[in-house]
Amino acid sequence: MRRILSVLFSCRGNLVKATWLQSEQIVELQSPAGKFWQTMGFSANGKQNLLPEEALYLMECGNLQVFYQNLPLSIQDGYEKFLSSSTVSLQQYQVFAHLKRLGYVVHRFDPSLEPSSYARQLNLPQSRDRAVKQLKRKRSASPTATSSHTEVQETPTADRMEEDECGRDGEEDKKPPESPLTASAGTAAASSDEGGGRTWWMTDDLGERSDHKPASGRSRWHFSSIPFPDLGSRGSSSSCLVPPDSSLLPGSVAVGVCDIAPWRRRINLREVKMSSKERRREEDKRRRRWDINRDREVRRCRNWAEYRELLARREGRPKGRPAHLWNREVTPLHDPRQPIPTKELLDKLSVIKSTHLLEEASSIKGSDEWRICFNVYQPDTVADFKKSNPGKPYSRMCVCSFDGPVPDLRAIKLLTYQSGDVPVVLAVVDHGDISFYTFKDFHLPTDVFS
Amino acid sequence: MDDDFSSRRESPPPPHVVGVSLCDSAPLLWRVEDLRSVRAQGLVGALLGSLPRTPRQNGRLGRPLLLLPEEERLLRERQTAAALPARRQDGGGAELVVQVEQQQEEEQQRSYEEQSILALEDRKSALLRAMTSSHSGSGTGTEASDEALRGRLEDLDRSFTFPQSALAVQLSTARAGLSYCPEARAFLQADWPIREQHDRSWDARYQVFRDLRGRGFYLTSAGKFGGDFLVYPGDPLRFHAHFIAICSSLDESVCVLDVLSAARLGSNVKKTVLLCSPGTDGRILYTSLQWSGMV
Repeated sequence: MRRILSVLFSCRGNLVKATWLQSEQIVELQSPAGKFWQTMGFSANGKQNLLPEEALYLMECGNLQVFYQNLPLSIQDGYEKFLSSSTVSLQQYQVFAHLKRLGYVVHRFDPSLEPSSYARQLNLPQSRDRAVKQLKRKRSASPTATSSHTEVQETPTADRMEEDECGRDGEEDKKPPESPLTASAGTAAASSDEGGGRTWWMTDDLGERSDHKPASGRSRWHFSSIPFPDLGSRGSSSSCLVPPDSSLLPGSVAVGVCDIAPWRRRINLREVKMSSKERRREEDKRRRRWDINRDREVRRCRNWAEYRELLARREGRPKGRPAHLWNREVTPLHDPRQPIPTKELLDKLSVIKSTHLLEEASSIKGSDEWRICFNVYQPDTVADFKKSNPGKPYSRMCVCSFDGPVPDLRAIKLLTYQSGDVPVVLAVVDHGDISFYTFKDFHLPTDVFS
Repeated sequence: MDDDFSSRRESPPPPHVVGVSLCDSAPLLWRVEDLRSVRAQGLVGALLGSLPRTPRQNGRLGRPLLLLPEEERLLRERQTAAALPARRQDGGGAELVVQVEQQQEEEQQRSYEEQSILALEDRKSALLRAMTSSHSGSGTGTEASDEALRGRLEDLDRSFTFPQSALAVQLSTARAGLSYCPEARAFLQADWPIREQHDRSWDARYQVFRDLRGRGFYLTSAGKFGGDFLVYPGDPLRFHAHFIAICSSLDESVCVLDVLSAARLGSNVKKTVLLCSPGTDGRILYTSLQWSGMV
């Protein structure tokens, strides 16, 4: 406690006298300034003057005695008079005094005295050029062979039925067709006005006929509902064919029942005896046999032109560019067949473009909340320090407190822009303790050996 | 029986009222007796000014003492704090100004006389030391040396003048002039400017502060440690802090990441983190966080 109780005494010879000018809010010296004049104070109206925070600091050090209305001011009076929102706040004075006690030279920051960004540009080295720009992917609606899609949507149930049929035949092979169409496929693609609405041959079991198709406007035949008679398989039991519907026959042609027994006698119904090798070959062929009609894209083709288009698409493209990647709206970033150095590829891949702190900082308007208060110069430059030309400061101070908000990116950009190439230090005041923080640009390294 | 005792017992002296002055809306204490009284009540505060003997260092600072808003509120509730009136702008009239100036001059003169006597004595003793040390070696003609010594001392008496420039001037830290007595307390309190923040978080902080202070802990601010208060088991000059107190209200939801970062901070500085919330029945609920590591 003794040290706190100590009182400030100063030799009168060393004591500089000054007066406080309330209206101008500055201190005017009445006797010649001492050693402190090298780094503090300014001349005005032929007299030496001090800023209020400088005067208060000198009072605390015991170098200055300030009079107001012919009476000396105590340090308490100094605090109450000199520190206000129009001069320097208490928190800012705390930072000022802290730095002064450590020996730094601290001046007020004046944005008008800073060189403009253009002037700075003339002195700065060439800025980094981003040579590789991100590719813009064209997002136009590319026409694909999907025009037939819309028509297909109308008949989902029919498709399902066809798939069921195909599914029953065995496992589907995904091999592209090696040979052109068989005749049946051609007729399938043909759009005929007569839908498979009527059966041409009646069989005993009419239950197989499907009722899922509307009467008119069909462009397909539904062969599942057209029962072709099976005369060749050994398991069929019927021996005669029922005559067709008389409405289907032209004119007055009448057809009777057809006896298929002689036909069945004539065809070879003997079972073929195959060697094991032949049997295996037959099995392989059967397994590998790819029914062209199982291919959905082929089924979607409504005519020969479309089918040829499909073939061209499939055979024409070179290897390495699969259609499902390249024929859509969103294509791969880079064609693997084209050579590209790793660094450029990494640049292409950069989804998040790295930015630096000063990007678009010039457009940010100033704010009252965040502003630079002081320029700080290093202590070892005191010997040849010139007030008229102090040079570039060591750092600039922005004073805030832990009660206030944390500076957001906008505030940091604003402060960095105002400061130019001098780092900005945030002095955070917390009831007598001061912590200093600074933000620095940092670039993630690209791991490239080229 | 009880009445007899109470009438014989003297009424306890009224508690010392500290004068708080506002600078830029911050409560400051300037007078030594105020600082002493506040410390005796267990409130620490923070010193802001330069230390008069050694002004150019940041290790130990001097007056004024900045109070935490919770400390100020506690003092006000105990009715032991009052606002100091600001220095009068007009000086209180021409007469008063003249009076004060006269007082100042008289004080200066008195100080000058005192100091000149002290300076003369100082010089004499220095001379004596110098003379005796130079003659101790030779040891001859002691009478002659004594004569010379006396002569020199008389010369000094006659011709010594204490220059004005060597006068030590006191620059007072606290503003002089407010003499105070308990009756002035009422007058002072009426002047208190209203600066209350009706913040729920501020209220929670105050409740926690009052409770912990009531249990005998000393509290300072803990912005550097990511909390609201640093809790010491005794005077901060004698102990390290044991806890970092973070205050929040009970219904406030807390993010797990915040709890994690607080626990990390606490474990790095070897202090226990206390999560404090004022409960519904007036009691404070405390939860401590300690990093236990993997079992």
